[in-house]
Amino acid sequence: MKKKISLIVLATTLMATMVTACGGNSESSSSTGAAGSGETKTLRFATWDTGDALKIEQDIAKKFEAAHPGTKVQVEAYADGFDQKLAAGFGATNPPDVMYMWDFPTYHQSLEPLDSYSSNDKELNIEDFYPGLFNYGKIDGKLYGIPAGFTTRVVYYNKKLFDEGKVPYPKDGWTWKQFQDIAAKLSDKSKKQYGFGVRAENDTYDLQSFVWSNGSSFISDDGKTIEGFMNSKETAESIQMLGDMVKNGSAVLTGGKGQQSGDDIFKAGKIAMWESGIWPLESFKTAGIDVGTVEIPAFPGKPVKGVLAESALSIAKDSKQKDLAWEFVKFYVSNDSIKMRVADLPVRVSVVNELKKDQDPLYKPYYTMLERSSNTPAFLLNPKWNEVNRQLSAAVEAVMHGENAQEVLNQAVKDSERYLK
Amino acid sequence: MAQTFLHQAGEPIAQLKPTRKRRWGGVVPYLFIFPWIFGFLVFTLGPLLFSLIISFFDWPIVGEVRFIGFGNYAEMFTDDPLFWTSLGVTLKFAALFVPLNIIVALGLAILLNQKTRGSAIFRTAFYIPSVISGVALAMIWSWVYSGDYGILNYFLSLIGIQGPDWLNDKQWSLVAMVVASLWGQGSMMLIFLAGLKGIPKDLYESASIDGAGKIRQFFSVTIPMITPTILFNLITSIIAAFQQLTLALLLTGGGPMKATYFYAMYMYENAFKYFKMGYSAANAWFMFLIVLSLTFIVFKSSEAWVFYEGEMKKNPQEKLKGQGRRRSL
Repeated sequence: MKKKISLIVLATTLMATMVTACGGNSESSSSTGAAGSGETKTLRFATWDTGDALKIEQDIAKKFEAAHPGTKVQVEAYADGFDQKLAAGFGATNPPDVMYMWDFPTYHQSLEPLDSYSSNDKELNIEDFYPGLFNYGKIDGKLYGIPAGFTTRVVYYNKKLFDEGKVPYPKDGWTWKQFQDIAAKLSDKSKKQYGFGVRAENDTYDLQSFVWSNGSSFISDDGKTIEGFMNSKETAESIQMLGDMVKNGSAVLTGGKGQQSGDDIFKAGKIAMWESGIWPLESFKTAGIDVGTVEIPAFPGKPVKGVLAESALSIAKDSKQKDLAWEFVKFYVSNDSIKMRVADLPVRVSVVNELKKDQDPLYKPYYTMLERSSNTPAFLLNPKWNEVNRQLSAAVEAVMHGENAQEVLNQAVKDSERYLK
Repeated sequence: MAQTFLHQAGEPIAQLKPTRKRRWGGVVPYLFIFPWIFGFLVFTLGPLLFSLIISFFDWPIVGEVRFIGFGNYAEMFTDDPLFWTSLGVTLKFAALFVPLNIIVALGLAILLNQKTRGSAIFRTAFYIPSVISGVALAMIWSWVYSGDYGILNYFLSLIGIQGPDWLNDKQWSLVAMVVASLWGQGSMMLIFLAGLKGIPKDLYESASIDGAGKIRQFFSVTIPMITPTILFNLITSIIAAFQQLTLALLLTGGGPMKATYFYAMYMYENAFKYFKMGYSAANAWFMFLIVLSLTFIVFKSSEAWVFYEGEMKKNPQEKLKGQGRRRSL
């Protein structure tokens, strides 16, 4: 997830210029207005974004200030130190009033349940959200976060490299076998060109998409068992596949220390296919890549499954101005604000319909994948998942460096069992 | 009334009085060192003791604090493979780094000790890396080591060697880390240089009169004379090796496959990634014990190999030194 955060940052750095230009102008008058009205209330809002994505958030905050005279929104950009600073804030009972949130199992005890707010407030229009998005912010049936943006993951392909290799563009419904054949065909070591890029350090969260697609998962649905799940034949197979592609030269390891990121290599036209969320899309276009998107390949005879990356907004339990905080959250997920967020996908159906995003062939796969994102990710199923994931991540990394997936996963299960007792 | 009471108490008070006065007169020196004492108590000793206390608790930042006695320590030794992995990596690193560090720093110091023109320039040049902050240093080395674009692999390619992707290769990343760590050793070099400059010239004169060549002089005069400096540098090196964190964090992130997952990094991640403050504090105290016992062992052994001025050991070679000392007196 950390990786994801930095990806958001990277991607939006390049894409948000237009929006910030739009949002910036109207605001300069607001601060003087607020200053005139006597006592100013300060609302603290913590975000993990930086760069232009942060700029969008600051612009939304300024609009809020304009609409609510006497209020100042202090946007606190924690960037890579988000978890540390947030945890420290909670520990010192001095957290920000409103914050970005994804890791609900870790933090929900310190967050304000939002069910009563959302059901009593018609303005929110909760029916308008994609319903699947709320699953991520719910713990024990209580809602702790309101979705603000999300993305699913797709396969990007470089049309020029496909044309050069005389390979037809991939279509939804393709299989991993086809994927591997294409990758092999489009690899040319002498040109340092590869069919696919495999991350040296994978976020196991993202890999769940492949594992689910192969009919397995990292953890049982009740969150109690990993033996036979994390090390099942299907799980091992879907991870081994990536390691094998690195080994046979049809994929290159990316994003290790001192290595270029996969986004950069794709931009340089040196990999034909790349799997990611929506974050780098704009930067691919800016880099002049003729890019196509297609859904994740399938394992034969099994349905493709997707995984969601979501940014939600939460209110701290210790906040002293929860009503104001709620106003801000509501404002933040209003149609106007959501339209300003170009770095990820709109959470409201009405905005999507208005912008016709799901009609655009480039965007359509994200929504197909959204329909396929019905599985519950492991971190929501067991509060100790972070600990298990520490072993799992190490195992996955080992596979990318050539180890046998089944063996290292068996070991990871053995080393993790103690957390599940 | 109080006075009568005091008078009743009698002699002991009369005796105490002047002492107390003197003690009050002595407050001024304490005032002078107060800022330091205050800083030490509040920012060093306080946190130190606090960390000892929380090492007996399950202490997440968010959530409930729970006393678990020696639970953290037990988990460390019996139940956590990463603990052993990281400890092993650190020991391997220390075994490579400490001797190399001393040899390199001493070698540079000896070169600088030659009376040649421009030695001041070299001294500055050798010291510059120590001025660079750890983060910048890590950035520099991450470029040097880069598999595709690194200058190191470029030089290797000139002599026909295809270099590995240093930081992403589990065989080489620890070696790469040792070399990068060696680079910032200017201060140790300066301490050695000061030690070398402190050796009286006449020792070498008398040694050469006795027929000792350059190499013999080095081992029989130079080395024994700077053993106290070696002792100091050895101990600081060991401590530095066990605390190595910056480079691991920035250069490799502990990878690939935990090949550079230092103990300090393991501790850091437990505290600031997994928020297990109590467990991490227990890790820290165990590291403290390791460093403490290593230092103790080195100190104990130093009785056998460290020579302070004019000291004689049973080793016959030392006669040279002893004689030199007497003559110089």
